[in-house]
Amino acid sequence: MSPVSERDVRVSECGPAALRVSARLGDRELDWRVVHGLSRRLSERQEPGLIVSIPTYESVLVEFDPTATTVAAVAEHVRQLLRTIDPGEPLETAPRTFVVPVLYGGPWQDDLDEVARLTNLDSEEVIRRHLEPSYTVRCLGAPGGSPMLDGPDFPVPIPRLASPRASVPAGVVSLAGRQATIAPATSPGGWRVIGRTPLSFLDLAREPLVPYLPGDVLRFERIDEDAFERLSGLALVPDGTMTHTPATGARA
Amino acid sequence: MSMSGTLRIETAGNAVVTDLGRPRGPAMGLPTGGASDQYSARVANILVANDDDAPIIEATAFDLSFVAEVDLLIAVTGAPMTLLVDGVERSMWEPVSICAGQHVVLTEMSAGLRTYVAVHGSFDVPLLLGSCAPDTGVGFGVRLSAGSRLDVRTSIGPVVNPYFDMSLFNLGVLVPYFGDDVVVKVTDGPDEDEFAGTSGRLFQAPYTVTEKSNHIGLRMTGRLPVRTSTAEVLSRGVPVGAIEVPPGDELVVLHRGRGVTAGYPVLAVVTPVSLDDLGQARPGQRVCFRHITVEHAAQDVREWRIRLQQLRRRVAAIYSALGLAEPLGIERRTTDREEPRALQRL
Repeated sequence: MSPVSERDVRVSECGPAALRVSARLGDRELDWRVVHGLSRRLSERQEPGLIVSIPTYESVLVEFDPTATTVAAVAEHVRQLLRTIDPGEPLETAPRTFVVPVLYGGPWQDDLDEVARLTNLDSEEVIRRHLEPSYTVRCLGAPGGSPMLDGPDFPVPIPRLASPRASVPAGVVSLAGRQATIAPATSPGGWRVIGRTPLSFLDLAREPLVPYLPGDVLRFERIDEDAFERLSGLALVPDGTMTHTPATGARA
Repeated sequence: MSMSGTLRIETAGNAVVTDLGRPRGPAMGLPTGGASDQYSARVANILVANDDDAPIIEATAFDLSFVAEVDLLIAVTGAPMTLLVDGVERSMWEPVSICAGQHVVLTEMSAGLRTYVAVHGSFDVPLLLGSCAPDTGVGFGVRLSAGSRLDVRTSIGPVVNPYFDMSLFNLGVLVPYFGDDVVVKVTDGPDEDEFAGTSGRLFQAPYTVTEKSNHIGLRMTGRLPVRTSTAEVLSRGVPVGAIEVPPGDELVVLHRGRGVTAGYPVLAVVTPVSLDDLGQARPGQRVCFRHITVEHAAQDVREWRIRLQQLRRRVAAIYSALGLAEPLGIERRTTDREEPRALQRL
């Protein structure tokens, strides 16, 4: 494909210290490649004054120090980098795959049944559809680097809980709208929980704090309660690299 | 000359050790965090010849007291409190020498919300991605309570007469206004057009800060702008200072502890300088928003930074005149940052 042109993006000011760059190629996969490609180039180039970029699905927020650069200079830098991006190329040529074991239902059976009711499927079919795809990690979200995924193939989006829970444990596997995720840390949550992984994702002694990056692939695998106990607290590692090892410095 | 020592907390109603935040955090799903009033935090560190981003104590709303187990040079800034050293009142916003064994009490916060205590040499605390700022999301950080001990990296003998309230300093520190009505400057948000016809309400009447406000964001009641578009927004990065109008009856202003992504349109963005004022806003306080341009907001930040640089130079000149430059490390200003130690959880 041809490189990204100015017509393909919208650059919006967010005060004197941030810009939002939204891709508008009209294709969700291409938009995602553009904003993540831009974010990677920004972090490789170490331009003075640039602090960090936050890429998500179809936009990236670029944060900078207004005493070291200007909105105009950052916008121009972004335009130059966009010209080096070919949206036809995949973000990762060799993505790693992570297999996430999940105990479906259990303490979360009520949420699972509710998702079944909302989608007019039975709960076994909800689980089957959740297990079916290979999910690309779209971006890292809160809390603590949650892998944000495109949701499974359901007939309707899943509404959030009317009243979010004050605390949901680390490892819960959840759904909302057309999105899916897994929580690396205990936190409040308004998403519907359909199960939980016994593995630990977060390691505060490591950088990045979670083992996967945007562009990597996740697959879910159904386990029973015995396997949940056996795997409890082990660290998530890429498929085929090594066996699970106990997490270091991770929150229980 | 210099040696390390300990500061022992006696009471801490709501206090943590923090710094200017974790700028790399948002790339990994962690909020920026750090001191809610960055100006006061930087001034505290500058007054004791620390790097601007050295770890300091942030006390929110409640009293704090501690015993120095070694000689210390401290500075207290931020929300006005009564500062007592062995029962003798001392001034905020200037360096204060504390002798080993003396009791330091901060009490009676009379306005604002957050008070900062910097100690020369700073504290030896765990770092996450280069910052000690607490992150409740991943359970990281140092929260202080009675009996907590903080290791101070260097001790420094009396710089100013520790027994009389007689300041040697005329540092010309600009002390922020901690009054009832806060004027908060904002620039246009990227999604202002989604509030067509009602975005101007933001500037027509004051808003009132509610009890549900914290370091993540402030919630305010008032006449709300109305979102006219109904399109579903995918999660995207939101700037610190973003003003949103979620369903319900409150305006939300995201502060430094904000989750890095959200799915609400951004109506306006509070300027970096005004975020410090909001970091001191109490529940019940009134806030008036005022619109400025992005160029104006950038100029405000540059002037703010220049004032801090000028203060650092004046402080260095005074310490040099007192013959203290060397023990305070002013002339060999190098990085004394240390590698992260074992990690600690809240």
